[in-house]
Amino acid sequence: MKRFIALGSAILLLAVVAAWWTNSRQPKPIVLIPTLTGKPEYCLTCHSDLREISPSHPVKTFGCVICHGGEPLALDANLAHSTMRGGANPSDLSVVQESCGGSNCHSGSAADNNDHIQRVMTSVQSTYAGAIANILYTFGVEPDLTARFGIHAVTDDVITTTTGLPALQVFDPTKQTNPSVLKFAANCLNCHINAQPLPGSQFDRLTGCAACHTPDVESFPKGQIHELTTAIPYTQCNTCHNRGNYDLRTMTFVQRTDQPLPTDRLHNYYQPIAQFTKCEYTLDCIDCHTRTEAMGDGDIHSNMKQIQYIQCQTCHGTPTQLPQTKTLTDPNDIAFRLAQLNPVVDLKLGDTILVTSKGEPLWNTRVLPDGTYQLVGKATGQVFTFKPVMGSGCTQNGIDQSSAYCHTCHSVQR
Amino acid sequence: MRPSFFHHLHPPTIPAKQSRWRYTLGAGGTAVFLMLVLGATGILELFYYVPTPDQAAQSIQTISYLVPFGGLVRNIHFWAAQLLLIVAAVHLVRVVFTGSYAPPRRFNYLLGLALFVFAILLDFTGYILRWDEGIQWALVVGTNLIKTIPLIGNAFYVVLTGGTQPGLPTLIRFYAWHIFGLALIVIILGVWHAFRVRRDGGIAVPPPPLRVDKERITRNELVRREVLAMLLTGAALILFAAFVPAPIAQPISDITIMAGDARAPWFFLWVQQMLKWGDPFILGVLVPLIVLAVLALIPYIFPKPADGELGKWFPRSNRLAQIVLAVIALLVIILTIFGSLPAS
Amino acid sequence: MSDLTRRDFLKLTTTALLTISGALGVGALFRFLDFQTEPPVKTEFDLGPAVNYPIGSRSLVPDVPALLIHNQNGFSALSLVCTHLGCTVEQKDSGFECPCHGSRYDANGKVLRGPAQKALRALRVEVNSTGNLILHTD
Repeated sequence: MKRFIALGSAILLLAVVAAWWTNSRQPKPIVLIPTLTGKPEYCLTCHSDLREISPSHPVKTFGCVICHGGEPLALDANLAHSTMRGGANPSDLSVVQESCGGSNCHSGSAADNNDHIQRVMTSVQSTYAGAIANILYTFGVEPDLTARFGIHAVTDDVITTTTGLPALQVFDPTKQTNPSVLKFAANCLNCHINAQPLPGSQFDRLTGCAACHTPDVESFPKGQIHELTTAIPYTQCNTCHNRGNYDLRTMTFVQRTDQPLPTDRLHNYYQPIAQFTKCEYTLDCIDCHTRTEAMGDGDIHSNMKQIQYIQCQTCHGTPTQLPQTKTLTDPNDIAFRLAQLNPVVDLKLGDTILVTSKGEPLWNTRVLPDGTYQLVGKATGQVFTFKPVMGSGCTQNGIDQSSAYCHTCHSVQR
Repeated sequence: MRPSFFHHLHPPTIPAKQSRWRYTLGAGGTAVFLMLVLGATGILELFYYVPTPDQAAQSIQTISYLVPFGGLVRNIHFWAAQLLLIVAAVHLVRVVFTGSYAPPRRFNYLLGLALFVFAILLDFTGYILRWDEGIQWALVVGTNLIKTIPLIGNAFYVVLTGGTQPGLPTLIRFYAWHIFGLALIVIILGVWHAFRVRRDGGIAVPPPPLRVDKERITRNELVRREVLAMLLTGAALILFAAFVPAPIAQPISDITIMAGDARAPWFFLWVQQMLKWGDPFILGVLVPLIVLAVLALIPYIFPKPADGELGKWFPRSNRLAQIVLAVIALLVIILTIFGSLPAS
Repeated sequence: MSDLTRRDFLKLTTTALLTISGALGVGALFRFLDFQTEPPVKTEFDLGPAVNYPIGSRSLVPDVPALLIHNQNGFSALSLVCTHLGCTVEQKDSGFECPCHGSRYDANGKVLRGPAQKALRALRVEVNSTGNLILHTD
């Protein structure tokens, strides 16, 4: 019996040693106490190799959980990830308010210019109101082109524009009877930043804020990109806007067939009838198109035309008028904030920049002493100089100044 | 050698035949050992556990993942608790199948049965202390079952949960019951149970005139066997706990939104399976109580085991009691298996 | 091997094995308890722009607690934690007095009267790149 006890003691020791061994094999927890929350989180135990998402969201300040959710104390991958918001993408519009919102963050006031979420939720990019309204009007369901439905229901208490609507109801296909509208509902409701992309790697993109602000989605497996940027290259816009066309007769999406894609930008853009001037295929989309155009102005609009307003003349003026400019005198001007987030230019107090007809600063431009203008590519850092129309040989009629008229002379042969 | 305190807990000698593993299965002793383990690991868990709904699950994550050896402590506590129920059940089956409950041990049989019931309650309350989505259904369904009791159901629900739905008062009550109320009862009943074993004449054997095998072992030998059993059980527990983690799930975000696994803890699966058939009061409360009553009445209503047949397995004289227990055990096992099958 | 030595050997082995197990257990217990669930206390305090504290000012920083002094020699800070048993001292006359056991210090923190033996601790102050004063208590 005493022999067995000695043996039993040996077995117990073995078990204790095994327990120490498994304990020593566990990953050493790496704690992070973000200054914003002050609560320990252990995500970095596994994710220490992840790059800083952006200079505005340093991990030491924000940590991971404030944006991503999840279980900060769990070191088991399944449990730790079980409560993450929006899976790998906390900016998905279904959770964006919890992830990115807050009065000090991205759902603040319009006056402070941090009402991003309110603007995006009302924007046509996420309501898809224009397409829905158009289809309903075309097939006689609604009497006019005013939007009544969106992908999600949304209301707006403060209307600041003439085309702003107080509310949209959610578009419910089960309440429709017209076969074309039903087909539209079945095939076409995947074209907004709420929607999951179509299957196929050529359609890869993210939803919510990340649809635009998380770049380079094509070169990574989905969900692996840990980056937010305001330097958004045209390729990012192309993940939606250059994938093919809708066929309104069959009410289907016809994806582009010219694979592999042409690499030069002039031919890379798909719309066969589109016309381009030189700057339209050398600049990035965001070099001309402003934040309110892309993200909305806080009003619910019926279609894209009501929000898109940048024309050639915004930068080039007309034969009789120079473009609008503004000298920066207020250190709190939004132009400085935008330039600081994407420091391709060193904007200084006293600089004179171009502004849009709505007064939005084109902060990456500058009026040069000789009366010409300079633009720095927001995504490329490339420097362009250009002249105003006034004083050139342009013979265009003063009232016909939209881009379509400029294309008559200035579009390039494709 | 002068007997130590631990030797003194045992009679000087006990019959050799009835002290064999194959007779006792070591179940009672193992149960005592497991309770000591549960007490020790439970105390360690108290150092980190926070009994509030918004922090309970997180504090368990802290113990499980962050505290050095915390996972081991929690796993040992969990597995010891599950093993305790099995060992207690084996002990009950052994006592009935050997007719050891025969007078004068009838009262001690009831004490043992009460200990079994309190062990189940301890297991259930401990399970609820996780306060994560893995236990949410069991908590809501288990406490709602109380409401189905006619007349006193609603009042009894408040007595148990401290509110109209599970919340902070519920967690505090379950916590207090688990670490103090039930634990104290089990200690008292356990000591009484062990005392009554000695008082009732030690392990059940035929009276001296009928005893064939008169060989006895000393208490030193008995203690050695117990030590060996403890060493091996302890080693097995540590090894098992080092490699098989106790269940854990994400914290309950909203007690009114039912999420996570809808399955009862394994020892209540048989009740859950019956609940699928109809009236919750009859099947969920009354039937288990009847089963308990039948078990309690075994020493009182069935033919008494013959004196000469004591101290061995399956005495002919109490066949009826053995069959009744076997049927109950079999039904519970079958229902448990059905209950554990994935819902079709 | 005689029977007696064999028994002794077994006993010794058992004791040794159990002692090692026990030692490992105690070690595990110590490591189990040696874990902090709460983040460590702050040792760095941002006191805001240095220009807010002109020369000649003596400002109370109650969170620390400390007294920030700005004189010809620059910024310095004095911990207001009594070196006796850790009560917060109060400013009295030109020096400090501890309300708990009556220790007294002069304006520079030197002990005037016991039971405290050591002077009030001088804390490190620095101006960071954005011009803010940072007080270190470590």
